[in-house]
Amino acid sequence: MKVKVTNWNAVAYWHWDVASAVDDFSGEQEPCGICRNPYEGCCPSCKVPGDDCPLIWGECTHVFHMHCLLKWIGTSTSKQQCPMDRRPWVTADAGKSS
Amino acid sequence: MASISARRLSKELKEIMNEGCPVGITLLKAEDFVSWQFTIQVMGESLYKDEIFTLLFRFDRDYPISSPAVQFVTVDGKVSPVHPHVYSNGHICASILGSEWSPVLSVISVCVTLQSMLASCKKKERPADNDRYVRHAPDNPKKTQWHYDDDTV
Repeated sequence: MKVKVTNWNAVAYWHWDVASAVDDFSGEQEPCGICRNPYEGCCPSCKVPGDDCPLIWGECTHVFHMHCLLKWIGTSTSKQQCPMDRRPWVTADAGKSS
Repeated sequence: MASISARRLSKELKEIMNEGCPVGITLLKAEDFVSWQFTIQVMGESLYKDEIFTLLFRFDRDYPISSPAVQFVTVDGKVSPVHPHVYSNGHICASILGSEWSPVLSVISVCVTLQSMLASCKKKERPADNDRYVRHAPDNPKKTQWHYDDDTV
């Protein structure tokens, strides 16, 4: 059966709660510093954005795709440091999403 | 599926195409996601006035999780800058290329760092162990265990 979509109404949309990552100047959202994909997109290893490719927050306030950060933390070069500020990575309590 | 490195590098390349390189840096060759070349020169007054060098980047599939292998090109009449951290075979002793690499760095940020490393040079000389190192150096500088003992230049 062939279905042709003629019309659709969006009733809701989601985004990660990363207000701090929005550039006050340009209004553009900064991407994940590791893969450079938007937070609302997914990491390069995933196909679908959303709960299966979540974000991870550090206590240092830096945010990454969880998969990107874990790949980095898994290397010896990382010394378990945040890629942004090289402080020891400590995951912040309870990820937030809206 | 395209590797992580190909996706990230295509973004970096697009940015270079759209916004251009910083002053003194030009893209020479980026035909694939395996190796890129840039020319680099120091602007203004410096010990390297009027000298143009060629930088070679080699990426593995895990870039940017894994650092790029970066060196100066020393073939086809090209030479590496005479600098206390640069060996005559083009290998560079710089911590951000090794133990201080971070995946938020980029090809351009590495170029800029190396450019300022040259700009701040006070005396043109080779590393003290140049001859010994070059004799046995691996082809890929990432295979060298570097000791970063001087952060003044």
